[in-house]
Amino acid sequence: HGHLHKPKPGEELKITFVLKDGEQKTYEVAEGDTLLDIAQGNNLDMEGACGGSCACSTCHVIVDPDYYDAIPEASDEEDDMLDLAYGLTETSRLGCQVKMSKDIDGIRVALPQMTRNVSNNDFDK
Amino acid sequence: MLKKTISIIGSGPSGFYTAYRLLKKSPTPIHVRLWERLPVPYGLSRYGVAPDHPEVKNCEETFEACAQEYSNDNTQNSFEFIGNVTIGGPHVKLQQLINNEDVVIFSYGCQSDRQLNIPGEMDTKGVFTSREFVNWYNGHFDYALQDKFNKFPWHQVKKVGIIGNGNVALDVTRVLISNHVNELWSRTDISTMALKHLRESQVEDIKLIGRRDFIHSKFTNKELRELWELEKYGIKGMIDEQYFDRDKFELSSMQRAMKRRIEMCDEYMKPFEERSKKNYKKVIPLDPATRHWSLDYLKTPLRINKDSEGYIKSLTLCHNVVTPENEVLPQLDQQITYELDLLITSLGYKGVPLSEFESLNIGFQRDHISNMRGRVLSRDGKIMPQLYATGWIRKGSQGVIASTMQDSFEVADLVMEDLSSNNNYGKKSIDLSIIPHTTWPQWETIDREEHRRGVKLSKPRDKFLSLEDVNHYLSQPFVNQ
Ligand SMILES: Cc1cc2nc3c(=O)[nH]c(=O)nc-3n(C[C@H](O)[C@H](O)[C@H](O)COP(=O)(O)OP(=O)(O)OC[C@H]3O[C@@H](n4cnc5c(N)ncnc54)[C@H](O)[C@@H]3O)c2cc1C
Ligand code: FES
Repeated sequence: HGHLHKPKPGEELKITFVLKDGEQKTYEVAEGDTLLDIAQGNNLDMEGACGGSCACSTCHVIVDPDYYDAIPEASDEEDDMLDLAYGLTETSRLGCQVKMSKDIDGIRVALPQMTRNVSNNDFDK
Repeated sequence: MLKKTISIIGSGPSGFYTAYRLLKKSPTPIHVRLWERLPVPYGLSRYGVAPDHPEVKNCEETFEACAQEYSNDNTQNSFEFIGNVTIGGPHVKLQQLINNEDVVIFSYGCQSDRQLNIPGEMDTKGVFTSREFVNWYNGHFDYALQDKFNKFPWHQVKKVGIIGNGNVALDVTRVLISNHVNELWSRTDISTMALKHLRESQVEDIKLIGRRDFIHSKFTNKELRELWELEKYGIKGMIDEQYFDRDKFELSSMQRAMKRRIEMCDEYMKPFEERSKKNYKKVIPLDPATRHWSLDYLKTPLRINKDSEGYIKSLTLCHNVVTPENEVLPQLDQQITYELDLLITSLGYKGVPLSEFESLNIGFQRDHISNMRGRVLSRDGKIMPQLYATGWIRKGSQGVIASTMQDSFEVADLVMEDLSSNNNYGKKSIDLSIIPHTTWPQWETIDREEHRRGVKLSKPRDKFLSLEDVNHYLSQPFVNQ
């Protein structure tokens, strides 16, 4: 994993990542690469702890609702892992399970905010 | 180069992810020492995670790459693995670490068991805690060769009880009920010896017993789905209708995961032809089923009954009522008895303090180190500069590797923040030359040898099962070149 393919000239697809601090990064990528491959290939903060095997949920992304329905439906296995994702939304997906295709050219995805608010159970008395 | 020194105690996912984050991100030059009680790293990734979940262990690849990248004094941030050394053991005291290092991070996980505290729990043959049992089948040095397991009459095991309602209970169920299916286990890194013994058993029925009701089950949908899917091997699940009645659940007020869990159970309990979604009709169940598992709820175990030779015969329980305030009330006048040949208690791993915590005034509550967002607190509730906690010993035994990672990153970020405002240098690291230990390159040779032994058996690895075997291997002249 983490190896990006070079898009053939004229077949570049675009993807924009909205980073945790709000910054946006747009890349031209090849069909078939997963969002995890793209994020890791560009050194974005996406861990992919299980190496893209749909077994950890650390590659969670939030998809722009305009593109969400154009992605093939999640499998049960992906949904089971999404259950555990931090900050789950209606348009959450796992980056390792979504592949770039012409149908989602121009897609925008956000990396979920990880900073938690300090809550009561952070304090031991 | 002048570096701050950071010692991390325990090389499981929390210790390693903390090291990884610090090495990758610290602008202050640091040297990280990762101490591990065993000669081999990775904690519960190696000795907890089920052998048939190899993809979960892929985090080890990240750790390995990290160790290789930073095991080198030329980098600004550097890493050192120190295996076979127990902090608080004969060679290195915690006090010594605190005196010699700028930062000490506790990530030594949960090393004991929660108990039922009922008669027969400690002295009946055939009653194991999930931690012991899991360690045994995963080949942990402390358990792999114990007679308690290897001399147990596995061929007599037909009926099994498992107390607990988390993923560990489901892992244990899976290994006990499906070990005869070659394609599921032969090509995993399960202890070859344990698998041989498990296969002597004739498990027909497993009850997973919980104190509360279905809605309070703690396992995740992935693990539960795996159990249902075993139907294709003639392994059938069941929940009695008194505990599972789809029409009685208030779906609208439930979280997504619970809604999905209810649908899953409802569908899998229907006859194959009557299931409504294609997801549940992927593979036709093998009929008739020969092995059964069931989710059993609202029970409190009271006592374990044994035969004249000290083996488990049965378990006596009583029914519970849960009040609207969510309190569990055992009904002692409503008792039942289950005949059992094996009982696994899966109530959670329990964190315990290191022996010096009291003299060093380090706070500890119930099952975890007292802390505020990872900063360790003293027994009187004050922040102890220099000390941090992460992973299971920070919060108790809960959370998967992803949440453990998240926790470790947050604690590492806090450490970096504190380091940046501290300009004292001059601590002297502990002199390792006088401490017997194993190094990262030695782990790499162990790793290679385990792979080599595995290839012969068509397994990803065949683990060393005893410390003697490891030490003997490492002492051979051709090894550490
Ligand atoms: C049976 C089981 C199955 C699991 N399955 C999954 C799964 O499928 N997916 C998933 O995401 N998560 C799973 N988990 C959860 C996951 O294993 C934990 O989230 C994670 O391992 C916690 O990491 P830790 O570093 O806090 O503790 P540990 O992994 O326990 O690491 C602690 C380390 O510290 C060492 N140590 C202890 N005392 C000392 C000392 N005094 N000095 C030096 N070293 C010491 C230990 O030897 C150990 O290596 C499972 C857990 C269990 C128990
Ligand atoms: S990388 Fe683990 S689920 Fe996607």
